[in-house]
Amino acid sequence: MSLLRYESQVRPPLVKGNKEYHQVTEDICRPVESKPSRAWWIGFSISLAFLLFGVVSVTMEVIYGVGQWNLNKTIGWGWDITNFVWWIGIGHAGTLISAILLLFRQGWRTGVNRAAEAMTIFAVMCAGQFPIFHMGRVWDIFFSLPYPNTRGPLWVNFNSPLLWDVFAISTYFTVSLLFWYSGLLPDLASLRDRAKKKWRKLFYGITAFGWTGSTKHWQRHESLSLVLAGLSTPLVLSVHTIVSFDFATSVIPGWHTTIFPPYFVAGAIFSGFAMVQTLLVITRKVLGLEQYITIEHIEVMNKVIILTGSIVGIAYLTELFMSWYGANQYESFAFMENRLNLNSPYGWSYWIMMGCNVLSPQIFWSSKMRRNITITFFMSILVNIGMWFERFVIIVTSVYRDYLPSSWSTYYTPSIWEIGFYLGTFGLFFTCYFLFTKYFPVVALAEIKHILKRSGDGYKNKMNEIEKQGSDDFVKEHSHDHGA
Amino acid sequence: MSDNKYWQGFGELAATGEHEKRTQNEFQEDLPFEANNEKGWLDAATPRRDFLKYLGFSTAAASLAAGCRIPVKNAIPFGNKPAEISPGVAKYYATTYVQDGDAIPIVAKVRDGRPIKIEGNELSVFTKGGTNARAQASVLDLYDTYRLTHPKRKVGDKFEEVPTFEQLDELIINAMAGVSNPVLLTSTITSPSTKAVIAKYPSLKHIQYDADSFSGMLLANETCFGKRAIPSYNFEKAKVIVSFGADFLGTWLSPVEFSRQYVQQRKLKGGNLEMSKHFQFESYLSTTGASADERITHRPSETGALVLALYSVLDGSVSTPILDKKQKASIDKVAAELKAHRGNALVVCGSNDVAIQTIINGINELINAYGNAIDWSTTINCRQGIDKEMNELVDKMEAGQVGTLMIYGANPAYDYHAAEKFTSALKKVKVTISFTEKLDETSELCTFLVPTHHYLESWGETEPKSNHISFIQPTIHPLFKTRPYQTSLLKWSGNTNDYETYFKQYWIEKLGSSAAFDVALQNGVLESVSNNSTTGSFNKSGFNVAVASISSEKKGGNIELVLYQKVSMGTGKQAGNPWLQELPDPITKATWDNYAVMSMSMAKEILGIDLVKGKEREINKYEYFPEKPVVKITKDNKEIELPVLILPGMNANTIAVAVGYGRTGSLGKVVEGAGKNAFVFSSSNGVTTEYFSRNVSVTNTGKKYKVAQTQIHNSYEDRKEVVKETSLASFKKDPDQYKKFRDDLAKSYAPLTGDYRKEGTLYPDHAQPGLKWGMSVDMNSCVACGACVVACHAENNVPVVGKSEVVRYHDMHWLRIDRYFVSDKENADDLKSVVFQPMMCQHCDNAPCENVCPVAATNHSAEGMNQMAYNRCIGTRYCANNCPYKVRRFNWADYLGADSFPNNQDQKIVGKLDPVVHQMNDDLTRMVLNPDVTVRSRGVIEKCSFCVQRVQEGKLNAKKENRVLIDGDARTACMTACPTEAIVFGNVHDKESKISKARVENEQRLFYVIEQIHTLPNVNYLAKIRNTDDVEEVEHHEEVKTEAHH
Repeated sequence: MSLLRYESQVRPPLVKGNKEYHQVTEDICRPVESKPSRAWWIGFSISLAFLLFGVVSVTMEVIYGVGQWNLNKTIGWGWDITNFVWWIGIGHAGTLISAILLLFRQGWRTGVNRAAEAMTIFAVMCAGQFPIFHMGRVWDIFFSLPYPNTRGPLWVNFNSPLLWDVFAISTYFTVSLLFWYSGLLPDLASLRDRAKKKWRKLFYGITAFGWTGSTKHWQRHESLSLVLAGLSTPLVLSVHTIVSFDFATSVIPGWHTTIFPPYFVAGAIFSGFAMVQTLLVITRKVLGLEQYITIEHIEVMNKVIILTGSIVGIAYLTELFMSWYGANQYESFAFMENRLNLNSPYGWSYWIMMGCNVLSPQIFWSSKMRRNITITFFMSILVNIGMWFERFVIIVTSVYRDYLPSSWSTYYTPSIWEIGFYLGTFGLFFTCYFLFTKYFPVVALAEIKHILKRSGDGYKNKMNEIEKQGSDDFVKEHSHDHGA
Repeated sequence: MSDNKYWQGFGELAATGEHEKRTQNEFQEDLPFEANNEKGWLDAATPRRDFLKYLGFSTAAASLAAGCRIPVKNAIPFGNKPAEISPGVAKYYATTYVQDGDAIPIVAKVRDGRPIKIEGNELSVFTKGGTNARAQASVLDLYDTYRLTHPKRKVGDKFEEVPTFEQLDELIINAMAGVSNPVLLTSTITSPSTKAVIAKYPSLKHIQYDADSFSGMLLANETCFGKRAIPSYNFEKAKVIVSFGADFLGTWLSPVEFSRQYVQQRKLKGGNLEMSKHFQFESYLSTTGASADERITHRPSETGALVLALYSVLDGSVSTPILDKKQKASIDKVAAELKAHRGNALVVCGSNDVAIQTIINGINELINAYGNAIDWSTTINCRQGIDKEMNELVDKMEAGQVGTLMIYGANPAYDYHAAEKFTSALKKVKVTISFTEKLDETSELCTFLVPTHHYLESWGETEPKSNHISFIQPTIHPLFKTRPYQTSLLKWSGNTNDYETYFKQYWIEKLGSSAAFDVALQNGVLESVSNNSTTGSFNKSGFNVAVASISSEKKGGNIELVLYQKVSMGTGKQAGNPWLQELPDPITKATWDNYAVMSMSMAKEILGIDLVKGKEREINKYEYFPEKPVVKITKDNKEIELPVLILPGMNANTIAVAVGYGRTGSLGKVVEGAGKNAFVFSSSNGVTTEYFSRNVSVTNTGKKYKVAQTQIHNSYEDRKEVVKETSLASFKKDPDQYKKFRDDLAKSYAPLTGDYRKEGTLYPDHAQPGLKWGMSVDMNSCVACGACVVACHAENNVPVVGKSEVVRYHDMHWLRIDRYFVSDKENADDLKSVVFQPMMCQHCDNAPCENVCPVAATNHSAEGMNQMAYNRCIGTRYCANNCPYKVRRFNWADYLGADSFPNNQDQKIVGKLDPVVHQMNDDLTRMVLNPDVTVRSRGVIEKCSFCVQRVQEGKLNAKKENRVLIDGDARTACMTACPTEAIVFGNVHDKESKISKARVENEQRLFYVIEQIHTLPNVNYLAKIRNTDDVEEVEHHEEVKTEAHH
């Protein structure tokens, strides 16, 4: 009777613990409906404190100018844009999971997509802070928007990759937010229907947008998901491509590199999945969702990490090769001296990057490692450190010693407000994430239910029994012939 | 300025108390609230109406307050406009920059009654309009907030204001009554009328004292020529120039004049391959040494021996002192060159030793320099002080034989070799009077302070060279209660005239008519030039003494110390000038400090830092961090601690320390903490002052001190497209080597058309149909004097950021002079060449910065200029990152107080601003700002604009006169400041313009910096050629190995 299978028996179940629909609802809604734990409060307070420190840091910078950071006449971008690219990269996993995996009908995405999408939105929010506040005159930010104006009209410069960033990131944020929110609608409706308190009814009532669960709603919901997935899919590739253009289209040795678009996209997915791992390993434990976010999910994502990590590694080696093969004095200096040379002022940062991004993920060739939660968590942190350094290496070690040796810079270390700004975005990210885990279902309730009957372990087991039945028995059991 | 009264109403005219009270009240009438009783408006008869009034008023007030970002300040227009003054149109007055003996004929640009910029006076035959950094910066001294604002006298320990000069005169005359032996101590005075004034003062003894003394030369000339004077030099006439420690392009005697002469032989124009040969013997790396073709380093105590050795090779009548092999070879080579160029050679020496200067005179006589490159028909008068007279004065003061000491321009308490002795001797003088602009170390000790005018407020004249008169006329009404010291002298000696009247009479009498005087004032200069160089009558009488004196010279100790002057600071008279403090030293690129300069080998020995073979991390630790090791230098009982800068080209046994630092805090907060006083290491040999020590001990203190450098890397890393420099021999062998690179570039990018410009890019070409501005910088002419850098500061309101910000690499210079060392591969201390490359915005026609600006704040003009729209700039710094020349500067903080944000200059945790930034924001100091140039606010990028305001002015003037623009209508500030015409600016489309000619005539040396990335700069450079014989292997670029940057 194997013809009756929805899914190969080889595939491990995506939902464990023999769940029924109701049980799924109960499990996933529990954290939302119960009082937050002590751990939640502690985590939330710490995040809020970080956020406040970030606010102070940014305030200092806005009042006194960018001189509050230790950037200088040679290094115009440092931690600010490094952090920007890093956060943007992190966002990419969410979009990849929700959009591309949806189009490829990857059922396992349902366990992680909600959290990953939320992470995308928060990460893009954090990322956006940097290009905004790295500006010397942030109050004139509207100059960067193309709209008919009374200043001439004076238009933006469509040649500038920074302007492309404005479009790319705002589009990305909008689409990601819509995707996330439209996916939330059925779950919000469940919460509304279960709500007992007045304010909960009101809040979820409004946010559920009048969702009734009618067939028409479901049909539209599915279509919308597909359309948004279609829109998001190119974004996964385009956003980081455009971010990479900030560097690739410039003339600075080390920036001016045609390999950047694919290399940045791979790196973004790499770091994004690492961040998803970091978050979910904790979330599933704390919220008791191990049966929905299973070790299988973790393993699949570790596979993505080793794949993208290796792509990034090849990109690094290609760059090195090209800088040698190209025989361009300036470019080879940027790579061989500024980066590869461990004794050069920033050589250490290159080797941290290499170690974290290329060497360490290689342990995931072993499935034992892929399925080890502690290792996974540790590796996810390591990868994100590595990917932060990748951006730092690209940005700082290229400009600090470029064409004219007269302008080579003194050693750049961040000031307290630069560090504060970065920590502040962590504060923003985790504050949002904590609120998200408290007020929204962390796992997509409706989507889990979609796959429950084909990938849930209870149903898989039932299928096993059916499997053993002969076809006559099966027909007999399931026919409406009541023993005539 | 008249005493007009401006009034609005009769109340103000009558100045009634009621009116004043009313005007001080912002709202002159109360709002008609019906609740205008004590009860408050809620209890009023009609609270609703009052409420609406309050609401209306507060809304209006709030919106008004929100709308007014900047408080409105009213300017009062002229009641009766003088016919010759139009607001907004600059007037130019010929006058003279005077600082002690130094005098440079200048033209002061006066905008709306205030001088804002110094230009050279092109009518002067000896400077031809050249200036130096100090003259350029001097306009800022006028607006120094630390200037004395009124006469003062000392009561107890404190100075007390004396309300009027009449009262002061009375006090001083009373004090001087019955006191005999008045002495006037000044720095060199070159003004004939002032000397006449001094002569009129009964029984006044006048002593001249120079902080950088030329007594040795004056006395040697007295021995050899019977004249205590300095002849004039003409470096233009010398094919071979030998300098023994004379920094004649930087600080020696008359550097502006000498630089201009010097480069005439080094321009290599129009295929000319002949240039002068310049040998420099010195102990440290001076700016002159940096320009030399061959440098030989020696200990300062060996100068005499080297000079004598040269003499003996040339003459043979004296025995040669013992020299090491290398020095001997050099001396032989130099002697051969000198012999071969008899009559076309010149030897100068910076020593202040009579014996050495006597031998130098002998050498010059042997090589026929007199009557050729040295001219006795005109003398240089800018140094007249005789050290011995000063020493005698101090002895007399100590013995109580001086009753009154008046001091002008001299500051012995700071720069005298026995400053302590002077200070204690001064206490024994009954009446001490200081004529000074600012409190300094000496005037602090005097009883009476008689503030004098700044030169821009003064009348007068100078005669820096005989028969070369340059007049001084006021360009502004005196800002404070000051009086020329000549007037004081006239008053106290019983004359009724003030100096102004006296001066005018003196010159009208001399010139015959007041019309002639007016013409002379207008021209600024009155020069009668003799074209016949005279030899003077040389006699060898002092020779034996000199030879004996040199032969008995003691050998120096392990480490010797030499004092030197920086082009920016000189002897420190203008130390309170922020522009000069922030001007990077051309050699060390350091600002705001002095330091001990030592060779790499000495650094290895004393500090354990091996910059040659050491570990890369150790080297980087020295190079990439501003914290430099501090050493303690001890000589006898004097010691100072100074940070170390390690340079190539230093004598291995010598450390060099710049004088002019460590000034008193009463000069202003600017100088606080800026270096240490190195004059403590000067000493007297009984006759003259020596600016070196034969033996000092140097120990590593283990401390660190931040030195603010604007450039940290010294080598150009063999980057062929960044600077092009070679030896004359290689250039002769392959004169087309630079041109070939350019041709190859065109060939590889545009094999068919050869049009590199169009085919090197995907972007459309900027059409420049009419004018096209371009600049040419001749690296062979640049002597790194820094005049252009300061001129750029002054012209373009470039902010001063202070040491704390320079340390953070936040300096704002629009124009910088990049300096690269070329060392021997085997021995890094052995310096082969120093390359100076003035670097400013290259105004690329395919500018990387323009592409990347998201808001198009930087864009390209139809005349080829890269423009900045400051109020469009949002400060992403993308343009600065993408600029391959790194010339864009970001306003990291509100350096100039241009923001409407309140209290944004009181940073406390990060980026605390130095007091100098606040001083530069003072209302008085801000008077120096050029109203034609926007003062940039925090958060925007700025950079060289090709002085677009001057270009616009030139275009408008041409338009007003209904003619086409001609060459010279528009000149940048750097170009006009340059004494050597290294910088040429103009319209490239005009085939007759200087810039077009410079490019055509120097085609073989022409290059653009990193041209292969297709930025298409509008600034070209002319390669540096050293006149040496070593042939360097020329790499032939068969095919240009470059990466296409589109």
